Amino acid sequence: MSNELRDKALKYLWMQNRDWSQMAEIGDPPVFVKGEGIRVTDTEGNTYIDVNAGYNSVNVGYGRSEIAEEIYKQMLEVNYFPEGSTTKPTIELAKKLSDLTPGDLSRVFPVSGGSEANETALKIARAYHVKNGDINRNKIISRRGSYHGTTAGVLWLGGGPPVASRDDFEPMYPNMLHAPQPNSYRCEFNSLNNSECAIKSANAIEDLIKFHGPNTIAAVIAEPIAIPQGAIVPGDEYWPMLREICDKYGVLLIADEVICGFGRTGKMFAIEHWGITPDIMTVAKGIISSYLPLAATIVSKKVADKFADENNYFKHTLTNSGHPVSAAAALKNIEILENENIIDNSAKMGKYLKEQLEVLKTDHQIIGDVRGIGLLVAFEIVSDRKTKSLFSSDLSIPDRLTEKFFKHGLIFRVSNEILNIGPPLSITRSEIDEIVHAIDLSLWELEGELGLPVND
Amino acid sequence: MNTNNLKNIAIEHLWMNSKSWLQSNKENGPRIIIDAKGIYVTDSEGNTFIDCNGGYSSVNLGYGRPEIAQVVKEQLNAISYFPQGSTTEPLIRLVEKLASMTPGNLNRIYPVTGGSEANETAIKIARGYHSRRGDKGKYKIISREGSYHGATGGVMWLGSPDKVSEFGVPYPGMVYVSQPNPLSNKYENESSYDNAVRCANEVERMILYHSPKTIAAVIAEPIVSQLPDQAVSPPNIIYWEMLRDICNKYGVLLIVDEVVCGFGRTGKWFGIDHFGITPDIMTVAKGVVSCYVPLGAVIVSEDIADAYVGSENLFRQALTFGGHPAAAAAALKNIEIIEKENLVNNAAEVGKYFLNRLNDLKSKHNMIGDIGGIGLMLGLSLINNDSVSKNINTNFSDKLKSKLIREGLLLRTNGKTIHFGPPICINKNQVDEIITKLDKVLFELEQE
Repeated sequence: MSNELRDKALKYLWMQNRDWSQMAEIGDPPVFVKGEGIRVTDTEGNTYIDVNAGYNSVNVGYGRSEIAEEIYKQMLEVNYFPEGSTTKPTIELAKKLSDLTPGDLSRVFPVSGGSEANETALKIARAYHVKNGDINRNKIISRRGSYHGTTAGVLWLGGGPPVASRDDFEPMYPNMLHAPQPNSYRCEFNSLNNSECAIKSANAIEDLIKFHGPNTIAAVIAEPIAIPQGAIVPGDEYWPMLREICDKYGVLLIADEVICGFGRTGKMFAIEHWGITPDIMTVAKGIISSYLPLAATIVSKKVADKFADENNYFKHTLTNSGHPVSAAAALKNIEILENENIIDNSAKMGKYLKEQLEVLKTDHQIIGDVRGIGLLVAFEIVSDRKTKSLFSSDLSIPDRLTEKFFKHGLIFRVSNEILNIGPPLSITRSEIDEIVHAIDLSLWELEGELGLPVND
Repeated sequence: MNTNNLKNIAIEHLWMNSKSWLQSNKENGPRIIIDAKGIYVTDSEGNTFIDCNGGYSSVNLGYGRPEIAQVVKEQLNAISYFPQGSTTEPLIRLVEKLASMTPGNLNRIYPVTGGSEANETAIKIARGYHSRRGDKGKYKIISREGSYHGATGGVMWLGSPDKVSEFGVPYPGMVYVSQPNPLSNKYENESSYDNAVRCANEVERMILYHSPKTIAAVIAEPIVSQLPDQAVSPPNIIYWEMLRDICNKYGVLLIVDEVVCGFGRTGKWFGIDHFGITPDIMTVAKGVVSCYVPLGAVIVSEDIADAYVGSENLFRQALTFGGHPAAAAAALKNIEIIEKENLVNNAAEVGKYFLNRLNDLKSKHNMIGDIGGIGLMLGLSLINNDSVSKNINTNFSDKLKSKLIREGLLLRTNGKTIHFGPPICINKNQVDEIITKLDKVLFELEQE
């Protein structure tokens, strides 16, 4: 059966970021038939650890039958709804999200994925200013090295290495402005100090606002901790400064919690690390641990109030907005996160994982940096720690690592020198040991092949 | 939690599609659906309605099929998601099925989670295709006035530049052409054939005006379901034949948006089956899974997909929920039931009956203007007779809607039109039920 399936996949399926001709050569794609906790089993009966929990998205882990049961019950009861009406779980989820999120974030527009959530956030931000009479406020500031989705409105946010090139999809969306990433390992201001890099990066956003004119800027969008450059935890100054700058110039602040939200960083939302409230927050992935598609745009009362009456309603319709089955699944998922103290576990296990990677760093010269918070952890491979240079791309380090990890039982796809680890938040200490051990072996092998000196 | 509480919470916290919460408040809270079977839904007050538009013309199979809930549960208990770079069995079965159902060499399927994402992806594939062939300047997209292709940043600008002006500067490269519509009275006495030829010629004229070197694709629904103030009217077959030829002639890709039309809505599996041509890219959503779970897909011809072979030609796009195994399992079962129960034929037959019954109504009510439709995509426009049109305004539309609700009909009104896109499992008795109620309401309105 597995060959038949693989052949059909190669013939008919367009997989994300995979090339079917290359997959054919190496006997891919793997087809998985079972998932339990952090492990998945393929058609041949091989079991692997899914190091990145899907796309850092299966927060409670695979195989939670309570969620499947909830989905089943809801689908039998009401699987969808007529236009203009809604359902119980959708309302209950809106309430739950309002309760969980900080400050006056209290109005929930449900959608079905992170891209849609950020698209919806930008539309709300722009329309908000128009309703305020600020018709020219439509520029959006994002940061180089960020990622906010793949549909046309959000595709042009963030970007730059190591985010995949977008040159196929030109022209760029108008009115996109890009600021530095507060990444102190490779700071654009050559500052090695996390605070200093954060302050300079935040100031750069203010400069951009002043240069373009505040009355042309609709919003700043940012992930509390950005993934593409590897779990960039900004200095503590950064987010309070962003909040202050946005307030000063009447710019809305959008926090993209698509990856960070629902315990990934050891708190329910990553923005809680800095105690500020954004004007709009977007969530996806962990809100439902990928059991079904679901996401949401959560809006402050101040912003939402502009859309309250009939003449000002938000002209935006998505067929799957408010899906009752997804809502029921998300409610159960959040209940599990809360009841089983999984967020606490994320904080503790994240700390342990980072410590273990720090130990690896002392053994492996090619690890340039280890960083992150909670179970959003990353390390960077360099050819020289002092210069932080990368290995030549001819050496195909990412592909070789992916292969070695696989051999040692990890599904851990690497596409560049920055390795993000974002497992299910239910992971245990011994499971982390397993992952770290497999990484250790893989790095030894790679170093051996590269003829690098081995530390004693 | 009791219903009043829930309604208050909804008013306080829920942002619903195209609805303001102050309006919900006036209506004593949004309607909360607690049971749904076939074409019927029941709200928390115990009222049962016919959902004449089947969600957003999207619950093709009808509500409450336990077979779908069963396969979704089984799939989730086996594997609920998948690691990066891998896939699952139901998805492979689904893409094989879609390839076998769609015309010509539409054989490569990129799964997404909804219609907007499907059309966004189609446009990116079209632009990426040209850029791989060295035609970097081919980026503009031609769409038709009044068409709708979604709500996200790229596709929301298709179909109309005006209605979304709150949302900033339009995406560059949007080119608009006329919508073929034999019922439009813009050109008096224009035949359906002439209408189609004129509109197709306009596409060619715009390609030449902008230069073929700048045009990436034409995107169009085979049959538009909901033009404001106009009933559904399929274009003459010559329109699609010409569009296919024109696109071939200028190296422009033809994208067919089957989000509403697909999966039996028009009495054939796909709307384009009425016209016998094969597009380069087809997008589907809604009916593919009858809204049991979010799902959409982009179905691409082998010729276009081949441009993406080789790691240097990779299509750089990832969507977390693209290729979800539970959604795929639900869609497979949905398609299986539509096939087994012959629901596509049912849509054609009952649709014809529905149209006849609407024509009966027209002969009784002066306020009905045009009637049109194909399969179970139907509409009627109210009034083209001047003495009555004066009365048609928002109040009228609200009054109409509330009377219909009182009679147990939930349906979509858009300006002066009423749209019908019921589940395609609807039978003739149920159509009679709708017609009888509509008759009563129109009679009442005339009395007033």
